[in-house]
Amino acid sequence: MLLYHISLIGLLLLSCIVQQFLPPLGAYDARILLIPLVVACGAVTVPTAGMLLLAFLGGFLWDAQQIIYPPLPAEESIKIYTTIYHTPTETMKFGYTILLYALMGFLMQGIQPIFKQGKWYLSGILTAVAIFLYLMIEFLLFSFIRGGFEISIPVMKQISLTALLSMLISPLIFWSLFQIADLCKHEISYDSLRRRNY
Amino acid sequence: MRPLNFIALLLFLAGTVWVFTLSEDAVRQVQKTYYSAISPIISKGGAFEAKANDFVEEVAHSEDLKRQLDQAISERDRFKIIASRVGELEAENNELLQALKFQRQTEFNVIAARVVRNQPLNWGSTIEIDRGAINDFIGVSQCVLASNGGLVGQVLQPGDDVSSVLLITDEASQVSARIEGTSEVGILYGQRTNYGETPRLRLLFLSKSAILQKGMKVYTDGRGKKFPADIPIGTIEDFEQGPTFGEAEVIPAVDFNNLKTVFVITGPPGN
Repeated sequence: MLLYHISLIGLLLLSCIVQQFLPPLGAYDARILLIPLVVACGAVTVPTAGMLLLAFLGGFLWDAQQIIYPPLPAEESIKIYTTIYHTPTETMKFGYTILLYALMGFLMQGIQPIFKQGKWYLSGILTAVAIFLYLMIEFLLFSFIRGGFEISIPVMKQISLTALLSMLISPLIFWSLFQIADLCKHEISYDSLRRRNY
Repeated sequence: MRPLNFIALLLFLAGTVWVFTLSEDAVRQVQKTYYSAISPIISKGGAFEAKANDFVEEVAHSEDLKRQLDQAISERDRFKIIASRVGELEAENNELLQALKFQRQTEFNVIAARVVRNQPLNWGSTIEIDRGAINDFIGVSQCVLASNGGLVGQVLQPGDDVSSVLLITDEASQVSARIEGTSEVGILYGQRTNYGETPRLRLLFLSKSAILQKGMKVYTDGRGKKFPADIPIGTIEDFEQGPTFGEAEVIPAVDFNNLKTVFVITGPPGN
């Protein structure tokens, strides 16, 4: 079990690397979000403690990549800088994605019994729902703290297409997880699939 | 709830609280470490993305050719295609000449950089350029210009071989600006735009009684030592009188949807 969790963290780090090679695909800047996908798919294969660990690491890495804190000038210019730029734009606090990933993980774990019956495809569909909700909440949070609350059709299309694209990749992630589980002799599904490897 | 899950939840919450209480400097340090670690990958990823885009364009181009060949296999059409390609090359040539001319003419000491990735973030407006801290001495906050001299943004994260640039169109970006021919100064903010839309900027904190006309030029004013003065930013599109200050909509001087080559002003900003 421990080996499987370590491998899952390895898969998460690998997804961080692969994510750099994934450009926006097609219209509306939709893209495959591999890191949240690995968190969502991984969450359903581990107990709650493992899911929380995955959410923490995934959220931390994602925020390290995505959060923007505008650069500040040199120390001696700070005073004059803050006089001129007196109302900085509000931004999300570093670490907020950890909570969103945890929510996504709890959602995925909600249908864990079905997943354990071997119906992994339902979990695959749920990844789209989870990623859609994650992006939607993220967008709403940004809108809330920065003002300009507006949900436009292009934004909805961007979020929906991103969720859909990510869902289409989910079978590959589940297949990878099954392979890792086999290698680590970890049981992630035990009713109809009978993946028992002791 | 099982004891193990309860302990895990407590540890998770403790970890999250720790992350939330990190100072901005600590976060910047985390991001710097992360960016340094992945910058070689970004460099390769950017090249891969460029190849993928070329391939997609090539496929689209091939489909066009096939359709045209199906319609009429004539010499005239072939010449049209050749002429079209020559036109593209001419446009590309002009762009490169403009870039070269800019590098020769600009008063700043600049270094040219190719844009390797556009919009790598979910919601933010950033680009990544193929110049880094090791060979090109790119540093945080350095000002970035386009080949027409317009303001693009400032360096956010310098990696070893690539650097991330925060565009002025990002909501988190702020530029102290003045309006040509007036005594009006304000702070220019990026604005959220939808896919395919031309980015717009908002110039806030202008005086309520400002008399502004469409087409007036907006420049950096150098206050706050964030950007050098007198760099073109854009033109006024609209002006509104708010309850406490005036607000203008500005169209950027730079075409952010087709940004291929940029110039980083080396040396500290504000000079």
